[in-house]
Amino acid sequence: MANINYNPNLSLCGGSAPAPSAPGAQASLTPAPELHVCMGLNACKGHDRTGTNNCAGTGSCATAEQHNCQTLNNCRGQGGCGLYGDAEQQMRPGDNECAWQGSCAVPIQAERFSTLGENAGKSVWLQARKLFEERMMRAKRNFGEAPFKCGPPQNWLISVLGSYDSCGNSGDKRCSFGFNDPEDNAKLLCEGKKE
Amino acid sequence: MIRTNFFSKEGEVTPANLGEAIQQAIEIEIATIPVYLYTYYSINRVPDQDAISGSLSQALVQKGVPLAQANATALELSAELMVYANKAGALIMSVAIEEMLHMALSSNLKQALAGLPELIGKSPSKWPACLPGHEPEFPINRDKLSLDQLMTFLKIESPDPLPDKKLLKAPIPYKTIGLFYQMIKDCIANNDLRYNTHSPQLLPGKGYYAQNNVDTLYYDKKHKPHFTNAADSGDLLYVQDRESALHAITCIVDQGEGLPGAPGFKDGKVDCSKIIPDDYDDFDKKELSHFEKFARIYCSYEQLTKKFNALGIGAIDISNYFVVNVAKNPLTAHYPAEIRPVSDFLNGVYTYLFVMVENCYKQSGNTQYEIFMFGVHKSMIFILNSVCGDIMKLTYKNSEDGKTYNVAPTFEDYPFGLISSPKSQLIDLYNAAVAVYPTISYLGQRVQDLPDVPL
Repeated sequence: MANINYNPNLSLCGGSAPAPSAPGAQASLTPAPELHVCMGLNACKGHDRTGTNNCAGTGSCATAEQHNCQTLNNCRGQGGCGLYGDAEQQMRPGDNECAWQGSCAVPIQAERFSTLGENAGKSVWLQARKLFEERMMRAKRNFGEAPFKCGPPQNWLISVLGSYDSCGNSGDKRCSFGFNDPEDNAKLLCEGKKE
Repeated sequence: MIRTNFFSKEGEVTPANLGEAIQQAIEIEIATIPVYLYTYYSINRVPDQDAISGSLSQALVQKGVPLAQANATALELSAELMVYANKAGALIMSVAIEEMLHMALSSNLKQALAGLPELIGKSPSKWPACLPGHEPEFPINRDKLSLDQLMTFLKIESPDPLPDKKLLKAPIPYKTIGLFYQMIKDCIANNDLRYNTHSPQLLPGKGYYAQNNVDTLYYDKKHKPHFTNAADSGDLLYVQDRESALHAITCIVDQGEGLPGAPGFKDGKVDCSKIIPDDYDDFDKKELSHFEKFARIYCSYEQLTKKFNALGIGAIDISNYFVVNVAKNPLTAHYPAEIRPVSDFLNGVYTYLFVMVENCYKQSGNTQYEIFMFGVHKSMIFILNSVCGDIMKLTYKNSEDGKTYNVAPTFEDYPFGLISSPKSQLIDLYNAAVAVYPTISYLGQRVQDLPDVPL
């Protein structure tokens, strides 16, 4: 976006409600897919970005708009977690209450860990998947396994999306200075251990 | 150097001047923010390890080290530099966010005891600056990371009075920030004061403050993450009575200078023998004071330098490998015409942060929450941080010394006018900036989404 224009009506709420508009022609009967934040977090068949997954929990990609930082999510349930946010927020990836209240980037790479709270040092994706499974259980729904059991690896995300970034200045989560194997770090996270 | 005297009678805080004293405390905290942030952004937290390693290996071979050994040593040293650069950044950011917390705690204190805190336009305007009221005065600069700059940080956070060459017979305002807060504490403890429990404050439990985030962590040599703030190291507090007021001040002092007996200067120098080499969070989760955090960076810098010197490759300062070449105390006015709009926009965002925070002390409930979360968090974490990164990709020739530098964020207060809303002026600043630097166009929607908050 190049130039932007100031609009005093854009900010927050206030003022009288607009006049109701006519409903117009009937909308398409095809239901829009639920917007979710990552691989393996879809509630329905066909609810991933390609629309080809066969079951809840088996989708390969987020349907929520990709974004790379806190406060940038469009709506409820479309924020990631782990990089910013307080302890409570970081326990609820993909479960934020409203627009701009998400903690973090979407989608959630497998290497991302929480920086605060009970889940500090542990996998954000696994926490998100746990919340998803609890929700499915409450709804008495069956669900399948995610394509990657610990979430999408960063390298895979880059290969399918063309680029991938989550904000912050402390560097790549998947990395080595020559004295570790990044696969070992990833394995620890996947096993539910602290990074 | 500009110094503002707040007290009519030096060295004493009474119920009559308590409001002034707390406002001075707020401005002391604000003064540290551009200083710490400037140095923070001068650090490249993720330099190119391959380039560093290659350069070191070449230097070692030139000193006669066999190639295989040179490569192994270069890998080792480069990893240490990678860890150090990231750790220095993480520690400085961990202090910077706590200074913002201290500003909020002092603002809560003022709201409870003396009225609306004043946050807009309180950043130092002349550089070198000094801490309002500190004795002895010492210059503080916006400067890149170096041992000198770290020494300034240590002086700011010193738990002990600094040596003063002049013997002053008259009382002095304060010798350390901790002693200054003690004067305020004594006034609160010894007087029956009325607490305003109706006006808004920034409260805990709303997600306004988080002790750690992705920028307060760094990775060690084996790329394991370490957090530089303890998870329970402090939070916002509701100031509603004497106990909570004293608690707020205790939190500020403990985080800044440390608990009584915490290490400080020894004979005017940093005692590096006291600095534990391993990370504190391997022990009992005790939060390091700001002084201890800066001492850690200082001593590690010295240690690394000695290592390089011992190998005969210390001719180049280690900072060359990970510190960006920025000028000391630049101002927007120093930048060429094609860069000034970007700097103005950055300063507009920086100042608008204070406008929004101050407005939070006039709003409560959902409105305050929306301003803080949609406005302050978005501006700080995404917009300001992004522009700081983008602006530093530009270079300019300094007309004063003829040298080429990277452009740096100047963190100057932008003088928003009164005729139109600050947000509309911020949008104008954005449009002017994007016209000369289209790289930042991705920020347009984010700027437009900001809350519209009056001065």
